[in-house]
Amino acid sequence: MKTFSEAETALHFDGVLLRNVSYTYDIGLPQETSALADIDLDIKAGQHIAVLGHNGSGKSTLAHIINALLLPQSGKMVFFGCEPSDEESIWEIRRRSGLVLQNPDNQIIGTTLEEDVAFGPENLGVPLPELRHRVDASLEKVGLLELAQRPPHTLSGGQKQKLAIAGILAMEPICIILDEATAMLDPASRADFMNLVMQLSKERNLTVINITHNMEEALLADYIYVVYNSRIALHGTPADVFEQAAKIRQMGLDVPVHIEIAQKIADYTSMPLAKTEAFTCTGAAQAVHDRLDTFFTVPQQYAPSANNSDHGTGVQISELSAPSLNISDHEAEVRGTEQSVPSANNSDYGKEVRGTELSAPSTDISDYGTEVRGTELEFPHHSRLSYDGRKVLVEVKGLSYTYNPDLEQCVKALTDLDIDIYEGELLGLAGHSGSGKSTFVQHLNGLIRPEPGVVSVMGLDVHDKKNIRKVREHLGLLFQYPEQQLFEETVGADIAFGPKQMGLAPEIIEQRVKEAAELTGLDPKLLDRSPFDLSGGQMRRVATAGILAMNPDILILDEPTAGLDPAGRDELMSYFLRLQKKGQTIILITHDMDQLADIADRILILKDGRKFALGTPAEVFGDDEQIRLAGLEMPHTKVFMEEMQSLTPGISADIFSPDNAAKALIYEYRTRRQTWRSK
Amino acid sequence: MAQQIVLGQYVPGNSPLHRLDPRTKLIAAILLMVLILTSFSVPSLAVLGIFVLVLILLSQIKVRLIIRTVRPILFLLLFAFLFNLFSGSGEVLFSFSFITVRVDGLINAVIILFRIIMLVLATSILITLTTTPILVADAIESLLSPLKKVRFPVHEIAMMMSIALRFVPTLLDEMQKIMKAQSSRGADYDTGSPIRRARGFVSILVPLFVSAFRRADDLATAMESRCYRGGKGRTRLKVMKFSYRDVVFSLFMLAITAAVYTLPLVFPSV
Repeated sequence: MKTFSEAETALHFDGVLLRNVSYTYDIGLPQETSALADIDLDIKAGQHIAVLGHNGSGKSTLAHIINALLLPQSGKMVFFGCEPSDEESIWEIRRRSGLVLQNPDNQIIGTTLEEDVAFGPENLGVPLPELRHRVDASLEKVGLLELAQRPPHTLSGGQKQKLAIAGILAMEPICIILDEATAMLDPASRADFMNLVMQLSKERNLTVINITHNMEEALLADYIYVVYNSRIALHGTPADVFEQAAKIRQMGLDVPVHIEIAQKIADYTSMPLAKTEAFTCTGAAQAVHDRLDTFFTVPQQYAPSANNSDHGTGVQISELSAPSLNISDHEAEVRGTEQSVPSANNSDYGKEVRGTELSAPSTDISDYGTEVRGTELEFPHHSRLSYDGRKVLVEVKGLSYTYNPDLEQCVKALTDLDIDIYEGELLGLAGHSGSGKSTFVQHLNGLIRPEPGVVSVMGLDVHDKKNIRKVREHLGLLFQYPEQQLFEETVGADIAFGPKQMGLAPEIIEQRVKEAAELTGLDPKLLDRSPFDLSGGQMRRVATAGILAMNPDILILDEPTAGLDPAGRDELMSYFLRLQKKGQTIILITHDMDQLADIADRILILKDGRKFALGTPAEVFGDDEQIRLAGLEMPHTKVFMEEMQSLTPGISADIFSPDNAAKALIYEYRTRRQTWRSK
Repeated sequence: MAQQIVLGQYVPGNSPLHRLDPRTKLIAAILLMVLILTSFSVPSLAVLGIFVLVLILLSQIKVRLIIRTVRPILFLLLFAFLFNLFSGSGEVLFSFSFITVRVDGLINAVIILFRIIMLVLATSILITLTTTPILVADAIESLLSPLKKVRFPVHEIAMMMSIALRFVPTLLDEMQKIMKAQSSRGADYDTGSPIRRARGFVSILVPLFVSAFRRADDLATAMESRCYRGGKGRTRLKVMKFSYRDVVFSLFMLAITAAVYTLPLVFPSV
């Protein structure tokens, strides 16, 4: 019930106000879907808001409502005192709020940068010479003025998103809405883009509404709204919101790594975190240090009690009880440091853990992996990979490649690359956009012919045209956004396309389709449906199944989880990890360093087409400076462990998943305490 | 592939040609096409050839980039050349089994080659290489603006054209990506029966259309979000101004036209 005075205040509210806003697509049709239900928002001028939510939660609809691209079907939206009631007010709201979309290519209208930036003010009827001034000033602000005359398709993804910002600035907005604007950028461009946004919002007192899946970005916000199934499920300051880790998880989202680890330790020790205590990485490290120190110094006093699981990370306190149980499958758990690639220079942390496994009884913390998120994730999933006598499946020697060699704008995509890829390994491939990752994997299955250089796949020379068909059967390449390649009338037919092209018998094809659908968790009922009726996540699984059905010896995944929400990402990854456990060789390209460091046996980092680093995660992520130079970021768990290292010198920082970090820390502090006591 | 096709591939620059009013360039290009297609005498064609050379020099664009514009029609050129070479009457130049080349044929073949190349060069140098597609669209809109009186949607058509041109490279890249993806799933676009190949193209076209629609949807959102509401009340960053340059260029064009049509009268034999 709205009273008159409430309506009055809404119009005087300096910011964006939503009251009971609902929106439903396709009303009255069978595919009717509610996108937003009873949404209340209070965004004050100059605030930086993050909106989190799973794919299909209604976040984008919210962005469109605030931008007055959609009008609420019920409830009201007031944008800085302006209600979208008539045409003029709608245009006014659109003028003062700018929207940046996810796909950089789809929002560029101009055929040169300056034409694109001018598009908005031209629509507003801004006259010359002010128009020219606005265009130049906006381009300069985002650092693209020198490229003003260039056609936009020659820009990188990060530059295109900055161009979108320039186009908005030229309209002199008071509010910028980012609709997963960084989802398609590499870590360096993402950080760069967010810095620009933060700087602008400070300088011009811009209100920022950032719709995102990236929890690190969410930490930059003043206030967070979590949308779950069309409703606001949680809201508060980042510290408030991430305190509810279990709830966040249930809603298919992530918790920042340091908060997650601190929560685990807080639960384990039954010493709850104070508000904002674990908000920064340093704070979280201190919190963990204090708790473990106290816990293992005076164990009796702090014996865990079962009623303390509110902040649950999903770990039941009762199961952990007193530190007297045994480590069950520790071998598999502490694998971050255990890689033993030829020439690996590992710390001997792994062996230490092994030692205790047999002797000292210790706490049973083995259930972390499976408990978290309530799914059957099996992180950490496999034991050490031995490279002794392992078969080499792919040999690459002296590979170089140049795009448009006869042109002036020729691009050296690869320079003198050598690598052997072993049977059964998971090779991670990382690098800034344009570093040559995609070009490299396209060489492996003969989409690009090596010149000069040698690429041989299972003994077949890729240079020889006769071998290409065979090579492609051995090597399954899943492209980026593979759901965009679906074309058949039914899901089953699409999965069967590959096997059919291989000329397999119909019975075998049917068998393969069934198996592949099962491997990717597709409901057999879906096989007769049109792939275009499915959700984005399901379509991606169909496309993945299409590659798996060809039964490739080597599976190449080019950013297989890009654009998925954390729950969708983890689920898809779990299928790949299960395959890998069975001995599948996998090459994984990703911008997600946490994921890569956690699951890869070896990592190859490319920079400007050259091999920048190759080794175990511990080796590759050895030096922050180097990683930043390559346009990447350090895995967040490692950053946290480095903080821990500064508090307790001597512990290993080469741990790459929050679960393993919690276990390792508990182990470390306990051992230290024991050694201290025995002295 | 997108790099190979110089369609709407504007080369940034600040040459006299770049600075001409796009309307002047558009009319000049049309006039040049007419001249090339209607002149048959060698002196006229020579004048036109020299004029195109002058334009190339004026544009200050690298010769290599200009030559590339001819590349997509190489097959057409070869076909036209051979077709003319083996036809015609007159003195036999040489013959070898069933091949007979006559003097007329050879001359015709060379002339046709010359004319096609000139056509491509003239349009690309005046329009695609030195004028951004948006300016071309603006020029068309301005030239057709009298039609607005009869409610012809001039602005909308010009906008559609410029957006289409803007997305040509994007969609070509996309097509290439889809082809590669389907190839790695075993699709084969070069061999096999025609039916199999036609089916292969379905696997490219369906995803391409789906993607084009998705892009169109996003683009419409982006345009609306940036307050696009048709041509009414819009201003332009690049105002088309008919300056002294255009006057000079237009006079020059007139002179060329006069020359092209009078030369055959002066030298009727060639």
